[in-house]
Amino acid sequence: MENDELIKSFFEDMRTKDQNLEIPEFPKPKTRSINWIIPVGIAASLFLAGFLFFEKEPEVKAPAEVIIITLEEGPNNEQQFKIQESTYLDTWESGTSSLLTEF
Amino acid sequence: MNQTSLQQLLESHHREAYIWARQCCCFDSELAKDVLQLTYLKILEGKAKLNDAAKAKTWLFSIIRYTAVDELRKGGKMLPLAEDHELIDLPEEVDYTDYDAIIKLLPVMQQQVILMVFYHQMTIEQSAEVLQIQLGTARTHYARGKKKLKELILKSQTEANHGK
Repeated sequence: MENDELIKSFFEDMRTKDQNLEIPEFPKPKTRSINWIIPVGIAASLFLAGFLFFEKEPEVKAPAEVIIITLEEGPNNEQQFKIQESTYLDTWESGTSSLLTEF
Repeated sequence: MNQTSLQQLLESHHREAYIWARQCCCFDSELAKDVLQLTYLKILEGKAKLNDAAKAKTWLFSIIRYTAVDELRKGGKMLPLAEDHELIDLPEEVDYTDYDAIIKLLPVMQQQVILMVFYHQMTIEQSAEVLQIQLGTARTHYARGKKKLKELILKSQTEANHGK
């Protein structure tokens, strides 16, 4: 028993000395950013994939104006150019069609 | 046990956990801080689970000890656990007020059983659980540790009296 008293007294003194120990602050746990980065990343990837998949192909629009240049015979049998402007080309005649019709 | 109550439990044992970590790290305060951080990380990440809330202190001390052993081994500062060599001739001079140095003169297992029982007010059964050894083995470490510590204390006290 005497042994225990000696040892108890030793540890009592040791504990008293340890009162001066600098105890580190209890670490405040941080929420791991990975917890929300993963679902947000997946959602963003799906959104981007859907956006690219459903994107409409651009429509090819006709040019605003078409210029039609024809060579015609005038009243005095002279050749003259006729220039027309149109928003669309509704008729087209081959330049060599006269060879088919006039022979 | 949820994360919040686990944090509260750790916070309530923080001071004692740090002191135990320091004792397991050969009284190296800086290493003890690292060991404690690693211990908390293991617990909060769910790598170590508490099954019985009544044994929280034993469980925490056990994790701290094993984490300290790992860290000491990494640093090449500790003998394997199985090697519990006997002391060690008494040094020429023992300063009674250098408690850490006196404790360090005991073999590691004896140190830890004695510290748990006398410093941390645990039972020999609890210390056996922390060290994961048989109760009989813990009792042997306790008895031998007490005997040697008494010798060291008496020697240091005699020297102190002669010095006066």
